[in-house]
Amino acid sequence: MQRYLRLYAHFLRFSFSRAMEFRLDFCFRIVMDSMFYGLQLAFFAVLYRHTALLGGWTLDQSYVFVCGYFIIDAIHMTVFSNNLWWFPIFVNRGDLDYYLVRPVSTLFFMSLRDFAANSFVNLLIAAALLVWSLARFPGPLGAGRIAVYLALLLLGTFLYYLLNLLFLLPVIWTQTGRGLDEMFFHFARFAERPDQIYRGWLRRMLVSLLPFALIVSYPAHALFDGLTPETLLHMIGVVAAAFLLVLAVWRRALASYSSASS
Amino acid sequence: MTARLFLHIVSLETRKLMAYRVGFWLQAVGAAVAQLLVAYYLWQAVFDSAGSATIGGYSRQEMILYYVLVILLGRIVRGQERESTLARDVYEGSLSRYLVYPADYLAFKYAEHLGNLAPQAIQLLVLGCAVFPFLELPAAVGIGLASVAMCAAAVLAANLLNFLLSYPVEGVAFWAENVWSLNVMVRLASSLLGGQVLPLALFPDWAQSALAWSPFPWLFDFPVNVLLGRVPPHEWALGMAACLLWSAVLNALGRAVWRRGSLVYSGVGM
Repeated sequence: MQRYLRLYAHFLRFSFSRAMEFRLDFCFRIVMDSMFYGLQLAFFAVLYRHTALLGGWTLDQSYVFVCGYFIIDAIHMTVFSNNLWWFPIFVNRGDLDYYLVRPVSTLFFMSLRDFAANSFVNLLIAAALLVWSLARFPGPLGAGRIAVYLALLLLGTFLYYLLNLLFLLPVIWTQTGRGLDEMFFHFARFAERPDQIYRGWLRRMLVSLLPFALIVSYPAHALFDGLTPETLLHMIGVVAAAFLLVLAVWRRALASYSSASS
Repeated sequence: MTARLFLHIVSLETRKLMAYRVGFWLQAVGAAVAQLLVAYYLWQAVFDSAGSATIGGYSRQEMILYYVLVILLGRIVRGQERESTLARDVYEGSLSRYLVYPADYLAFKYAEHLGNLAPQAIQLLVLGCAVFPFLELPAAVGIGLASVAMCAAAVLAANLLNFLLSYPVEGVAFWAENVWSLNVMVRLASSLLGGQVLPLALFPDWAQSALAWSPFPWLFDFPVNVLLGRVPPHEWALGMAACLLWSAVLNALGRAVWRRGSLVYSGVGM
């Protein structure tokens, strides 16, 4: 464990020094993500001009919800996104070999090697927006509920990473991962809206087989309505199932990896 | 650039894009299904909560139809993601070969862009045929030959405008080490301010008035409303003129950036 922590500290140092080499791009990315946050908030502001509730939530609740989404997105962008983006390219070129011969877990190395320092600044902005949305919230929330909310957001982030990985792993067999990668980001749109808007079979699917609606909405429910044992068990169960599935597919994928580039 | 060369580049790009068919169709179907479902359920929830028959002048069915059209036509307006081609040419030093070609760089790149459009048009037809049988056309919507023809012209103009919108931004690559995020910013802004995320009629009046002076409304909101029959012919003519005027302005701006940038271009790459 200590060896992995020391290794991760090296990753951080390399990533920050690399980010500082490209200062202009560093600033551009901060502006880009800030713009993304602004546009998402504007979307809800415009929508609520025409309705008082969306899926049973007020504008204040939707602001907390969307700021929770910013946190998950920012952590994902900071910690995992760059690494996962490169994965299909490594497979396609046969570069995954270099990861396989390292004396550490390949999944750890492949998922965490590149820490996006510029996105880390955006994580701070996202955190500030979450504080703003909680501060302007009209009802009492309580420190306990907020702590549970933050813990569930971290669980949601892990689920988001697992789903992203599940969409990418088939590249070992298909040789082209861009279509699947894009598909993940399109499906991730389900997470950007409150889960109560979905009905019937789609809702059942989005909280089980393709659990995008769990990622941000369930933590928000725990914050607004209190955490129920059912919600907690449901979320932990889905995350555990996704984790086991990723491990199983990962092992099968490595066994099928031919190292041949195309 | 001769028309023959232009068409040859278009054909070459089409074949390149179709090389990875599985990825191409996965992306097309996945994107369309996800976007349609999110929009459908979102607006069902909004109309249920609001309890009014129309929102921003759109009935429930018209709103769903707006999103179906914006998702389908948006493919033609955006085209295939170009992954910062000018920027890549600058960074890799491959721009040098274009400088010795007996063809205008911008025209060459637009031909490549149009080549990428042919598969998108196939997607539009296939997805359109799959979706439209399930839609109920509202009585107020009259899609006829005239509105289809006017919409086709508006979509082609919007495609040109969208292409030219990113060109000056990509030109920043001559001075900056990465412009990917600038491109994303343009895409984000055009999605919301162009009507791809929400119909512009839902925006406050002051915002609609301000947007009318920008290039954004002509990208998505205008072509879709033309097809829905919500834009009378004289407004269509004005919209087309505004779209082409913005294209001319952005073309001039892009070429100015190109001229300045090519003076500092070293051809070494990064």
